[in-house]
Amino acid sequence: MSINIVNIDKELCTGCRRCAEVCPVNAIEGEEGKTQTINSDRCVICGQCVQICSVYASNFQDDITPIDVKKDERGMLESIKEPIFAAYNIGQAKLVKEALANPNLYKLVQCAPAVRVALAEEFGLPLGSLTPGKMAAALRSLNFDRIYDTNFAADLTIMEEGSELIKRVTEGGTLPMFTSCCPAWVKFAEQEYPELLNHLSSCKSPQQMGGAMIKTYGAKIDDIDPAKIFSVSVMPCTCKKFECDRPEMTDSGYKDVDVVLTTRELAQLIKDMGIDFKNLPDEEFDSALGNYTGAGTIFGVTGGVMEAALRTGYELITKEPIPNIDLEFIRGNEGVRTAVVKVGNLELKVAMVSGLKNVVPLLEDVKKGKCDFHFIEVMTCPEGCVSGGGQPKLLLEECRPIAYKARKAATYEHDSKLELRKSHENPDIVKLYDEFLGEPLGHKSHHLLHTKYVSRKE
Amino acid sequence: MNTFVVADPNKCIGCRTCEIACVVAHSDKNIFTSESSEIEFYPRLSVVKTAQVSAPIQCRQCEDAPCANVCPNGSITNKNGVVYIDRSTCIGCKTCLMACPLGAIELVPEFNEGEKVVQQGLKVVDEGELCFKDRMVGNKCDLCIGRENGPACVEICPTKALNIVQSDDLDVSVREKRKKRASELSNMKVK
Amino acid sequence: MKTISNSFVIADSSKCIGCKVCEVVCFTVHNENNNVIATVGTVTTPIIPRLNVIKGENFVVPIQCRHCDDAPCANVCPVRAIKQVNNTIVINENDCIGCKTCLMACPVGAIDLLPQYDNGEEVIQLNLKQEGENGLEETGRNIAYKCDLCKESGKPACVNACPQKALTLVNISTEKKSRNKAAALSLLQTFKK
Repeated sequence: MSINIVNIDKELCTGCRRCAEVCPVNAIEGEEGKTQTINSDRCVICGQCVQICSVYASNFQDDITPIDVKKDERGMLESIKEPIFAAYNIGQAKLVKEALANPNLYKLVQCAPAVRVALAEEFGLPLGSLTPGKMAAALRSLNFDRIYDTNFAADLTIMEEGSELIKRVTEGGTLPMFTSCCPAWVKFAEQEYPELLNHLSSCKSPQQMGGAMIKTYGAKIDDIDPAKIFSVSVMPCTCKKFECDRPEMTDSGYKDVDVVLTTRELAQLIKDMGIDFKNLPDEEFDSALGNYTGAGTIFGVTGGVMEAALRTGYELITKEPIPNIDLEFIRGNEGVRTAVVKVGNLELKVAMVSGLKNVVPLLEDVKKGKCDFHFIEVMTCPEGCVSGGGQPKLLLEECRPIAYKARKAATYEHDSKLELRKSHENPDIVKLYDEFLGEPLGHKSHHLLHTKYVSRKE
Repeated sequence: MNTFVVADPNKCIGCRTCEIACVVAHSDKNIFTSESSEIEFYPRLSVVKTAQVSAPIQCRQCEDAPCANVCPNGSITNKNGVVYIDRSTCIGCKTCLMACPLGAIELVPEFNEGEKVVQQGLKVVDEGELCFKDRMVGNKCDLCIGRENGPACVEICPTKALNIVQSDDLDVSVREKRKKRASELSNMKVK
Repeated sequence: MKTISNSFVIADSSKCIGCKVCEVVCFTVHNENNNVIATVGTVTTPIIPRLNVIKGENFVVPIQCRHCDDAPCANVCPVRAIKQVNNTIVINENDCIGCKTCLMACPVGAIDLLPQYDNGEEVIQLNLKQEGENGLEETGRNIAYKCDLCKESGKPACVNACPQKALTLVNISTEKKSRNKAAALSLLQTFKK
């Protein structure tokens, strides 16, 4: 990766270091009052610095590079009038806009769970507005051929990861197992704790599982040459742009996910194309790889992956449905939460970490052999993906806890209202295994849905 | 922001040379050798002389020029940063005069090649006789558009009381003020 | 005339880190009429703050209106668009003619003359047109902007938003009393029997 995804504009930075305060890996370097730089070896591309930076480029300052030029350098669409700040991520909206106009490409899209509880904020709707229907409608208006969904892929991830956990627990595999859906966490582990990489689940993230499925199964059912598929994912995350570019993410035979847009970039694209988001009628996702259960949608909040895994894992082990589907004791916003869950005869010890700094003590315990958890969910961003680096950027700090609370509440609300709330009950998941994958952890799954990690330590 | 000319009353001695310079700059003929009835002597700036102050007052080329915004004919427009009265379309309605808070506009006879222009239809009784009325138009500072050395009043003022203020000058001045104030605040011992 | 002095907001340069949160917040709370809600994505006009963070070689601090009790801006405004309202010096933006006199008169540099926006668009002059390449064209209104102590809400937004608590709303009467008290107490120490 020669171009850095997250950067600090030297001309604008005033050296206030508010970004350094929120950086979970101390990657921001520089004296107070002087322009800061990001150490790209340490940076995990989480984008929290992008979210907090308040140093904007003034339209009335004539001693800096013109704003239009800066916008172009950052990959922003020309028509977008929102202000730009010192800390930023580069964008690919222009690339996607071109692809959408190309009749020779078959354009498929998937959106992360956290996008549908925040996208509407960019159009003036209240913080945490739940708008999956409008999101799907907007994507269709943009000319995507298939509106699939990362939530479906999250259900798929649960099938694989749940089975993997059970296997490790019952067959004496490496424990604790850590989730691997957060790419910034994965990069961190590769950089700082490569000796513990075997603890990570071998599962790809839902984005990448979705990508691999889209260019194999998705191509098959629509009878399309996968070489013609342009696969886009919309994420609340800046690191997902890094994840899709990982060289090993090509198990479909092609780049599994071609481009990642952040929630903000999708909103910009919708505005650029003149779509009146607020007044769109609700539409559905496309079946096959687009329908999801509540378990899939809670992936966007801290504790969501764990809760989804337990809803399915419980039933896989005990052959009985979980007595209470809402696992309140898993939810919360403290940086490290722990629980013991009785699953049949097994006392499953689980932990949920939100805020990457909080994982370090646990990792140190694992190194010393002192960690007795079975399964640990790790999310880099403060309250999970709803607070991700690619989410709508707040103008007022005092709104931050309100926004996070609202987006989380909307996520659980969405889950509670869905008919199906357990990943293994998703009929399209069942169909996918029946028709294509075979069984979780099977040969095909292993090839397409699992991955390897690489040490990045010097 | 539009450029404009403004006077420092502390330097003004009330000599009125600026008014003469203005007239000379805008006159087709040499006013010093013309017969008095034909002189177009209507300065576009007016020197105020009271016990408290002496200073010339002229148009400030306002960004949201109230004169232009009330003109019923669209005769006043922003022409390259000058709020400019087009005499050919002015009907002498005086609304601009009323709108200007500075009193920078006056209604004066129009001259063409040194001769007064008369109206085509309107007549008045002048010295007992009915004759065509002089055409009256709005008169205000036009920053001496077209004059090689720029505003004549600025050039002629013996005490350098009149100054051209450009947008950049204002920006620089504001920036300097802010810098000084910031420096003062940073030197305050009590916080 | 019984007079209470005007309040104003002043910044402590030893605390300011130059983050410009104050500028962003100032703009946000003054631009509801431009559909600015909670996120950056809702902003469609340039950010125009009413205070300005100034950086020098070894200082950084915001500068804003001091609500002078003998406000030079108010005294020179030819259309009386600047008035004292409840111990605040306020510019009536719709009356402003953009004559720049207040900008020149203000020794603090607290006033900016910039385009006026409403509903996300530049406000156009009623009648004044500008000569352009293709003849007469519409042109936008420019108005004087300065700190108004957040007169709509009554609570200066910058004060609460500053992450370093560098900005304070000053009431000079209260300030004087507390300083007098501290000085008296120190006299007590100085002249210990």
